[in-house]
Amino acid sequence: MLGPVDVLVILLVSIIAGFVGALFGLGGGVLIIPFLTLVEGVPVPLAVGASIVSVVATSSASAATYVQDHLTNLRLGMFLEIGTVAGAITGAFVAVFLPASVLFVLFGLVLLYATIVMIRARGIDFPADVRPDRTSRILALGSQYEDHSLNRVVSYEVTRTPLTVFIGYFAGIVSGLLGVGGGVINVPTMNLVSKVPVKVASATSNFIIGVTAAASASVYLLRGDVHPLLAAPLIIGVAGGALLGTRVLKVTPPTRVKVAFGILLAAMSLLMILKGFNLPVVL
Amino acid sequence: MELNRLVSYSLRIGVLASVLLSLVGLFVWAAGGFDNIVSAAGPGIARALASAFQGNDSGFIYLAIVILIATPVFRVAISSVYFVKKRDGKYVLISLAVLSMLVFALVSGYAG
Repeated sequence: MLGPVDVLVILLVSIIAGFVGALFGLGGGVLIIPFLTLVEGVPVPLAVGASIVSVVATSSASAATYVQDHLTNLRLGMFLEIGTVAGAITGAFVAVFLPASVLFVLFGLVLLYATIVMIRARGIDFPADVRPDRTSRILALGSQYEDHSLNRVVSYEVTRTPLTVFIGYFAGIVSGLLGVGGGVINVPTMNLVSKVPVKVASATSNFIIGVTAAASASVYLLRGDVHPLLAAPLIIGVAGGALLGTRVLKVTPPTRVKVAFGILLAAMSLLMILKGFNLPVVL
Repeated sequence: MELNRLVSYSLRIGVLASVLLSLVGLFVWAAGGFDNIVSAAGPGIARALASAFQGNDSGFIYLAIVILIATPVFRVAISSVYFVKKRDGKYVLISLAVLSMLVFALVSGYAG
């Protein structure tokens, strides 16, 4: 049974989760699930159910700001959603053709590789001579945003779009399986594969994961895995934290975002690999 | 209205409504002496939602959760309408594809 102290503690922790989630284009589920299960002793299904609801809140709260500031690439986001939502449905309803453990190890290794590439290329956000692919040209995906840390308008093109949508499909599957948003996969993919500026990748990821998470959240809700006393403080906390996070991202230099994300990515990839080998890791 | 503002407002209103209802739910819960709330499932969700109108704490929170989950779905729906109005065929198709997958997820969720 949850008491007022539990609710207050969950509220405080979820402010941090919302902050980190908004900053890096994640839902914050990677922080919430371990906290609820390990510290609060919440059973895993209830923790995942509450987490996926909070992912919707983090994503919607931060996307509201990023979309208004034109940091989100709306067109790219909507196109990638085809892949991520299809993946989320596959993950939730259809028997996956790859066993979950193989998927985790595979993604762990991919993320580990992304970590190395991201840290090595930390000095440059994205290369200057990006040529848009055919899909990107047809859908007019290239765009620009005003960077408040660099004090200039940054124009960028989007390349290798089909590959990014393809990876997004698998990110959707992982998101359905884990109760997280899948942003940890989408952000490096957009930045490293499609050469999208890291801050745009983070903002666009936040935009995407709200939709991906809403699809899974409804399933958890109807199943009875969303507890009101977990959901309420989480919704309030992450929404507040997300507002703080969006302010910080705006004024942080892209290269610093990249390094911080790389460190987070390293930790996440190790957790995923351990999970794949069925070691007792909560994710 | 410009698409960015349309999307931004939809998200903002959805999150704000959800946060306020969650707060009301927690206040009612506190005022009632922190009673034990259990989670509802399936048809029980509809009953829980209806209980919000009798001032029930978990009713308010379930209303908050449902509004929150509906927010991104509404955002996709309103984008489709925008692209139809702009006669942007490619993006009408894209947003309708996402919307129909979401509706499929919701409907099959109900089916179990």
